[in-house]
Amino acid sequence: MYMRFTDNLFGSNTSHSKNTGCNSNKDYKRMSFNGPKGGNGGRCNKRKALRASNFWMFGTVVFLAIAVLLTGCSGGSKDPSNSGGSKDTEKIIKIGMVGPLTGDYATYGQSVRNGVQTAIDEINEKGGVNGLTLQLVAEDSKGDSTEAANAIQKLIDQDKVTAIVGAVLSGETATVAPIAQDSGVLMITPSSTAPGLADTGDYIFRNVITDDVQARQMAEYAVSELGLEKFAVLYANNDYGVALKDNFTAKAEELGATIVAVESYLDRDEDFRAQLTKIGDKAEALYIGGYYTEASKIAQQAKRQGIEARLLGADGFYSGKFVELGGDAVEGALFTAGFYSGDTSEDIQSFVSNYKQMYEEEPDMFAANAYDTMKIVAQALEKSGNDRDALKAEMAAVKDYPGVTGKTSFAANGEALKEVIILKVENGRFSRAR
Amino acid sequence: MLQQVVNGLTLGSTYALIALGYTMVYGVLRLINFAHGEVYMIGAFTGLMASQIPGLPFPAALLIAMAGAAVVGVAIERIAYRPLRKAPRLAALISAIGMSIFLRNLTLAVMGPQTRAFPVPFEVRHFSIGRLRINSFDVLILVTSVGLMIGLHFLVQKAKIGKAMRATAQDMETASLMGIDVNRVIAFTFAVGSALAAAAGVLIGMNFNAVEPSMGMMPGLKGFVAAVLGGVGSIPGAMIGGILLGMAEVMGVALLRSEWRDAIAFGILALVLLIKPSGIFGGNLQEKV
Repeated sequence: MYMRFTDNLFGSNTSHSKNTGCNSNKDYKRMSFNGPKGGNGGRCNKRKALRASNFWMFGTVVFLAIAVLLTGCSGGSKDPSNSGGSKDTEKIIKIGMVGPLTGDYATYGQSVRNGVQTAIDEINEKGGVNGLTLQLVAEDSKGDSTEAANAIQKLIDQDKVTAIVGAVLSGETATVAPIAQDSGVLMITPSSTAPGLADTGDYIFRNVITDDVQARQMAEYAVSELGLEKFAVLYANNDYGVALKDNFTAKAEELGATIVAVESYLDRDEDFRAQLTKIGDKAEALYIGGYYTEASKIAQQAKRQGIEARLLGADGFYSGKFVELGGDAVEGALFTAGFYSGDTSEDIQSFVSNYKQMYEEEPDMFAANAYDTMKIVAQALEKSGNDRDALKAEMAAVKDYPGVTGKTSFAANGEALKEVIILKVENGRFSRAR
Repeated sequence: MLQQVVNGLTLGSTYALIALGYTMVYGVLRLINFAHGEVYMIGAFTGLMASQIPGLPFPAALLIAMAGAAVVGVAIERIAYRPLRKAPRLAALISAIGMSIFLRNLTLAVMGPQTRAFPVPFEVRHFSIGRLRINSFDVLILVTSVGLMIGLHFLVQKAKIGKAMRATAQDMETASLMGIDVNRVIAFTFAVGSALAAAAGVLIGMNFNAVEPSMGMMPGLKGFVAAVLGGVGSIPGAMIGGILLGMAEVMGVALLRSEWRDAIAFGILALVLLIKPSGIFGGNLQEKV
């Protein structure tokens, strides 16, 4: 387990280079701490009374050392390759990535980082982009918009990346997109789905199905193809959930269905029984606008309350964890998605097996979108060379790129046009319903 | 509506279990142990790992979780609070917050960020009384938390160590002059409070089938609100405060809008602090503060 974590956090570095980097950091920290205070031992002889405070200083040093070990290394994923490649920087194209690699949203950021890394490894194995090697510089935003802004500034000014894949969360992307736009650096988010993000400017792209498109397609499928008429909506009170709720209810009502109840919850809530009791058995189907962590709990609590409404949702459901956590309560649930790892096509299967080999888990939609995004950027780079402006023009011209998430083109505003598929939970597995 | 009362009672009794830890520690040390939510989380993880041992019955897993969390709680006290006992209270508070962040990120580093499922160790049964539906979890949560609270009551009121705890809470220096080993009493308080939090963590983790490193944050805060509501330092106060808070939240969703849930919880905190800062049962501590 621990090994897997280090693999995830530190990317593909060998553990050796990682350790030396951190040990030297730690030593440096320790010296700089003791140094100015006269670390030659003179101080220790002064008074016994200082011992307690020395214990605390020791504690602080240990704490700092651990902090450096943890933070220094996650940022350090680039160090070894930096020093290795310093003499021939000409032969390297740096790609930046920003997203939550630690903290509450780490699972999304790590998936994106792993997806990009998988694509880069495949590209480099085949000789890189016009003979140039791609190199990933991944920065941790901790899910915090301010941290994301600092990270992107660093990527642009210090690392001088050619393009940035990110940010991951919609809030982060909204904050950092104007910075990338002003600096004239291509930024493409593989996961932020809030409406309007790609409109920030001509350097900003998005390669993911937006919330409004998904919700409308699900409403249409549920009403027209499943023949359902009475819906309840339970949504997460955040950008994602609100966009899903608004568009689902609008489209469903437009098609003549009734919305019998609309309830909300907050991110990381665990107890949904009050809302579910309120919804009761009034609806034929329950549309959940939120992520699998909450949706699986909602499903279980609904089942225990005897609510038999059909579960509908969006790509936030798409994770093996949804079935693992939800068990038989999520059986039959339907949701929209942009990627299906069970697809039998050769591209998808080779991506899935490469990814699994590296990270010991199935790629989720974040990883798949990130992988496709990196491949699309690489394809554009092949035509544009290592040039930020030419790259932007080539990106805008991408048409029907055949990736693992289906065919991708970009609209004039940088928004990806992708197909929406509908998946179903059947016998504890995902299968394609449409 | 009766269904909502059951929802509120089960939610509230878990808040009460968490609030007890805050209140007991505050009682003896005048310190808000902000790492308490993390103890709850570590308890849930320990319970999860224990319940994966084949053949181990659930009560044993629960006890292992409580024991594990008790050890963690005592360690926190030893490492982060005891050296600061004579320091200004702010230092201990900052140390508590640091401990909380440290433990959460340590768990994140060791266990990974993913939510884990908690295997249900028994068959879930449903009971219907009219339109009211109760399941095994509701019963388990209520029985366990009420049982633990009764046990705690006897421990504090009747046992010798409980008497020592109350003496320490009244005046630490005098208590130590009377021959009470204050350090031992404080460690014991942390152990009991942490064990209760672990029980809540296991119950919640199993009921909602999810255990993850940041799960302690919200329940930790809510437990704190419940403790303040009942009167920090008062054990019956924490129990009543927890139940009241759970009921208020559920009724807020049932009668108002679901967005209001946390606004109600923390609105209560603000109101209590404004109107009766000592909480419902908190009067007897005034002279110390």
